[in-house]
Amino acid sequence: MRRQIMESAGIQRLFAAVTTLLPAQPAAEAISTSFKLQTPSISRVAIPQVVKTALLGGLIPLLLLVAWEAVTRIELVPSQLLVPPRQVLATFLDLLNSGELQGHLKISILRVLLGFSLGTSAGFLVGAILGLSKRAEKYGGPFFRVLLQIPILGWMPFLLLILGFGELFKIVFISLGAFYPMTLNTFEGIKGVSNEYREVGRVFEFGRLKLLRKIILPAAVPSIFTGIRLGLGTAWMLIVGAELVAATEGVGYMMTMGRQLFQMDVVMVGVVLVGATGYLMNHILKIAEQRLLHWRNTMHA
Amino acid sequence: MNYLDYVSRKISDVYSKSIVLLIIFAAWWLVGAYKLADPTILPPPSKILRTLLELAKEGDLVFHIKMSILRVIKGFLIGGTLGFVLGILMGLSKTAEKLVGPLFHAVRQVPLLGWMPLIVLWCGIGETSKVVFIAIGALYPMVLNTFEGVRGISREYLEVARVFEFKQLKLITTIILPAALPNILTGVRFSLTISWMLVVGAEIFSVSAGGLGDMIWSARDTFRMDIVIVGLIIITLIGITLSKSVKLLETYFLQWRKTSH
Amino acid sequence: MADTETLQIKNVHKTFRVGKQDIDVLEDINLNVSAGEFVSVIGASGCGKTTFLRLLVGLEGEYQGDILLNGKRLNGPSINRGIVFQNHRLLPWLTIEKNVGLGLESKKGNNKAQIVQDHIDLVGLKGFCKSYPYQLSGGMSQRAAIARALVNRPEILLLDEPLGALDSLTRMYMQNELERIWKLENITAVMVTHDVEEAVYLSDRIVIMSCRPGKIKRIIPVPLSRPRDRASYDFMRIKEEVLKEFHLQAEEHFAYSI
Repeated sequence: MRRQIMESAGIQRLFAAVTTLLPAQPAAEAISTSFKLQTPSISRVAIPQVVKTALLGGLIPLLLLVAWEAVTRIELVPSQLLVPPRQVLATFLDLLNSGELQGHLKISILRVLLGFSLGTSAGFLVGAILGLSKRAEKYGGPFFRVLLQIPILGWMPFLLLILGFGELFKIVFISLGAFYPMTLNTFEGIKGVSNEYREVGRVFEFGRLKLLRKIILPAAVPSIFTGIRLGLGTAWMLIVGAELVAATEGVGYMMTMGRQLFQMDVVMVGVVLVGATGYLMNHILKIAEQRLLHWRNTMHA
Repeated sequence: MNYLDYVSRKISDVYSKSIVLLIIFAAWWLVGAYKLADPTILPPPSKILRTLLELAKEGDLVFHIKMSILRVIKGFLIGGTLGFVLGILMGLSKTAEKLVGPLFHAVRQVPLLGWMPLIVLWCGIGETSKVVFIAIGALYPMVLNTFEGVRGISREYLEVARVFEFKQLKLITTIILPAALPNILTGVRFSLTISWMLVVGAEIFSVSAGGLGDMIWSARDTFRMDIVIVGLIIITLIGITLSKSVKLLETYFLQWRKTSH
Repeated sequence: MADTETLQIKNVHKTFRVGKQDIDVLEDINLNVSAGEFVSVIGASGCGKTTFLRLLVGLEGEYQGDILLNGKRLNGPSINRGIVFQNHRLLPWLTIEKNVGLGLESKKGNNKAQIVQDHIDLVGLKGFCKSYPYQLSGGMSQRAAIARALVNRPEILLLDEPLGALDSLTRMYMQNELERIWKLENITAVMVTHDVEEAVYLSDRIVIMSCRPGKIKRIIPVPLSRPRDRASYDFMRIKEEVLKEFHLQAEEHFAYSI
């Protein structure tokens, strides 16, 4: 029973991949040192490592930028398909100055925050109940396992039929996106609390509530936080999706309009904006996580 | 006696597993039978079954499934292969990692659906845009897992290779690839599952001819909730089958892991 | 005699159900521990000594026979018994101060902070009140765990291989510390260990258990004055006597050492 639910942990890692928010784990250096494909001879000159890394990392983006500029200069492809980099920047500034960009961004973020908080709360509740009560897990587990196997994007037509194209659809759709990973991570976090810690609570004669407050919840917080982060990432991806088909404002809408009007520059600004906002939201949560979970910082070092 | 024990335990197991699903199903059926809800919003189970049989008989279903699966295969092959190569390169060479890594991680920050308008502008709303979209989705987990697999190889194995004075190519084929195989297969599984999820999205977001995503999206236009639900069920079942079969493949390929532990 | 006895263990049996089989883990355990006494239980791994201690803590559920603490039958865990686990089991999200204060959670009174501080001082962790467990070494963590176990002023202190996870030098040092704290607190202590020297160094009596099912094989008194000298003849003699029970005596070594 339990193992089968745990298997759906696969889904959770899948979320990590879909929302692309979990960092690649810092891996051992063993391989590359045993290989001779090392940094070429620039290393003779004493360039600090940080600068070297930055130079190397910036090389390909720089080349791409140059190629992009060149392609637009000699008009290799129609300007409809590839506008020059300068124009993208100009459009960005235009959108910023007119306040249009901020307006779309604000509405998207508001939707995400609303849907995210609803979905996360519901996910926390369901995950906690499934994790705390053996009976709930036994009877409810299979149902949620089936539910979480349904691809989130598949819900879109279903919800649109029931809820129509309004705000409600977007909020419910986004909260579903936050609900999935939050439920799984809360459940796993609580199930994963070591019996050793639970016994400490028993030894000190903690009642159920105290055991929950003092031992189980704090021990599950790291996993729950992962659920929050993945949930926000999924929610951000889904709002863009929802606004692509059913909105009259928001970042996704801005991009759709840009596409329909063949405004390549607007679409590109949109892509960067969506990426940067997603990164920023994840980063804020990460900082909060580090603050909140400082007690395990060095344990992982 | 023991046998009875076993049987009764099995029965209670099956009971607890299915009871909630059964109750929900029964409630659904009752709502339909007593017309408690608008049947266009919540069609009864019998209607779902009829629609399923209808779609199957007319060959629509097979056509849509075929379209979706073909797109997934194309996108997965392109994205997965590219991701595999990129992951191996970044894993083997620090320079490659430093060259490609920052760009890769920056690009990765864009939510997958955010690429859709750009892809449609560049590739049109035809087949290409869908395959490209799926390929991007398949690329990420493949790169990350392959990279991790190669980097995670224990120094001990590499020292074995050095003792035997393996050449680089031999090092890759005899040590690095087999040792990274578990991670690579995990990458394959995630890539495939994401591809399957994205094909539905691709078919929804860029008008398309055929495919399960198209099927449920056009059903929404014509208020055919029954088709939407049939589609959801089929999509879910195929998704589960896909990830289960790669898992089987994993256990088959990784038998050595069991004995070595 | 009988009224000074704090802990009485009478005909205790414990069986575990594994699949469809009942496995006897403990059989016919009889032991009396007097107030202020330090008793060690020693045995090979898997002989049920940890189960025995967990019964005393109250973490193992039902058992046959009687375990009486001051005449009352044990039934579930209670704060009148302090326990130090092998892995310190400090909660990593709480400071040392809060960890030590866990046992006082359910108590009323406004001098709680003072009690916590006193016990932190007692185990020699002054100045580490606001530290988190990850900032402490193994020995220091175990000190904090001892303080946490003592903070309720329990009637008996139970120790489950408390120094088992430490390196041998730290372990010897902590044995001295344990003895000092035990004397200062004047508390009854029952310790499970697999380290013969540790048992001889700390105990008034050593209970030797045999395996499968776990039974008391022999009880060896240690009538040495404290602090004990690990290199003394008497110390070595008792150590040999314990080892003999495990068929591990090193006779030649003994002969040479004279």
